[in-house]
Amino acid sequence: MPLIDMPDFATDLLAEFAARRTERVNTPVIQPAEPFLDMAGEDLRRRIFLTESETGANLCLRPEFTIPVCLRHIETATGTPKRYSYLGEVFRQRREGSHEFYQAGIEDLGDKDIASSDARAIGDATGILKALLPGRKLALTLGDQAVFEAVVNALGLPFGWQRRLIHAFGDMTHLEALLERLARPQPVTGLDPQIAELIASDNEADLVARIDRTMQETGYSTNASRSPTEIARRLKEMLELAETRLDGTALLLLREFLTLQLPLAEAPAALAGFADAAGLKLGAAVSRFDARLAALANAGADLSAMTYRAAFGRPLDYYTGLVFEVTEAGSSAVLAGGGRFDRLLTLLGAKEHIPAVGFSLWLDRIEGARAKQ
Amino acid sequence: MSTITIALPSKGRIKEDTAAVFERAGLAISAVGNDRSYRGRIEGIDGVEIAYLSASEIARELASGAVDFGVTGEDLVREGMAGADGRVEFCARLGFGQADVVVAVPEIWLDVETMADLGDVAADFRARHGRRLAIATKYWRLTQQFFSSQHGIQLYRIVESLGATEGAPAAGQADIIVDITSTGSTLRANHLKILSDGVILKSEACLVRARKPAHEQDLRIARIVEAVRAAL
Repeated sequence: MPLIDMPDFATDLLAEFAARRTERVNTPVIQPAEPFLDMAGEDLRRRIFLTESETGANLCLRPEFTIPVCLRHIETATGTPKRYSYLGEVFRQRREGSHEFYQAGIEDLGDKDIASSDARAIGDATGILKALLPGRKLALTLGDQAVFEAVVNALGLPFGWQRRLIHAFGDMTHLEALLERLARPQPVTGLDPQIAELIASDNEADLVARIDRTMQETGYSTNASRSPTEIARRLKEMLELAETRLDGTALLLLREFLTLQLPLAEAPAALAGFADAAGLKLGAAVSRFDARLAALANAGADLSAMTYRAAFGRPLDYYTGLVFEVTEAGSSAVLAGGGRFDRLLTLLGAKEHIPAVGFSLWLDRIEGARAKQ
Repeated sequence: MSTITIALPSKGRIKEDTAAVFERAGLAISAVGNDRSYRGRIEGIDGVEIAYLSASEIARELASGAVDFGVTGEDLVREGMAGADGRVEFCARLGFGQADVVVAVPEIWLDVETMADLGDVAADFRARHGRRLAIATKYWRLTQQFFSSQHGIQLYRIVESLGATEGAPAAGQADIIVDITSTGSTLRANHLKILSDGVILKSEACLVRARKPAHEQDLRIARIVEAVRAAL
């Protein structure tokens, strides 16, 4: 590919990718839109450039590389582990900045050693940024979805509530609204007395039969997506969730956890202290957190430039653990962002479970930072 | 002095109701040429032109700034442009054309009464049914804003529906709908129910002004707005 219009440091970047033993891949600029909308949700629709093929298929201009690189991996079925790198244009509707800009990054697929591949992704991202911005002070913020999941799990909430909170992780406004509801439950009112009685007497078979009958009578059965059994079971869950209350102490703990922000090196002690004081067993999530930190230290990473922020996450259901962002110290412009997405490949159709971690570099912002030199 | 264009609905009840409001406001409209013409003028104010358009075109013309005023449903304006309040001013709510944009699910979904319930179902949907929850609607933008920004629900897909949206769940085209309703009778007839916190917008016909710098100096603009407000 000719390096026309690319940032002037593109050659250096490609050399970095090669030195880090990655396989450079390219993906078409025009992509089927469905995988992006399916994975990231409809909200993405107004932020990408959509078009239609002559046959009515939804197409879009490549808004990012992770999904195309993973899809290509599944299609070519070349086995794992694989380290892919990419460099190319992406297209997004943005309020500020250009709608088309370059992105580059690495996706590490199939490495079963979670701690060391997490540490390597962080090391690659910061190492490349240091090479492109020599002498600059970088700052990294790290979050971990698995630790939040462990805290929510240890609080002993019903599964449905755990799932709600985990889904909202990374979206503080929504998370706050959920905590409000946990403080002030609103029991369900207006339920049909006969239905209420069937639930109260735990008579699932009759409840299912009744729902089924209504479906038949209203002609809804033929194309019904949700079955009478699914509705009956969730009906019970709905009543339970509506009445769930989290006591003041537990709410305070959860809020306290979400405000944790401290140097990464101090995070294990802080998390252990928090778990102790709260009487919560955070088990495997915290030992994985510690293992990642050890792997980072082993790899010689500069831990003093890294901060752990407990509330940092991405509200997308394929992120599973590590998330991180790198900026210049004192700036809010994200130069590199990454994380672990162990669920993405199976969601995209991979037959076996493929753990995955990666990051992307915002080349326009890196170019801006270099220009200030 | 440039011409001020007011886009009014070209047919139906809303056309008659609009004409009545303008009449009461002392802004009587006379057709240019014959009765079936799509152009008109306001008697007594120079340089004001009436363009009769379809309700959804009026929203589009307001968005592009091709007209100065329009009378159309708030739902169509908010659906038709991002950041509507920055680009247009809702000068007056006219008291007709009332309709709510609502989230409606099959009545038999006894376990879904609120948006939070729907969020739970959406979160699980792919694992249970191998695809995302599908919503039939013509209101892409309003649905996205309501689901994503207000309720943190991301995991759903929109299926475009250009008519008879209420039939989509029974026909298997979608699981639920976002649609407009005035009395709710069509929803009930199709065994759908509105979620308790599922009213996205309480819409009605509005006098809407495209925000343009030139309007600030123009006395005719203020006169039209005041006259319509006084007539309500």
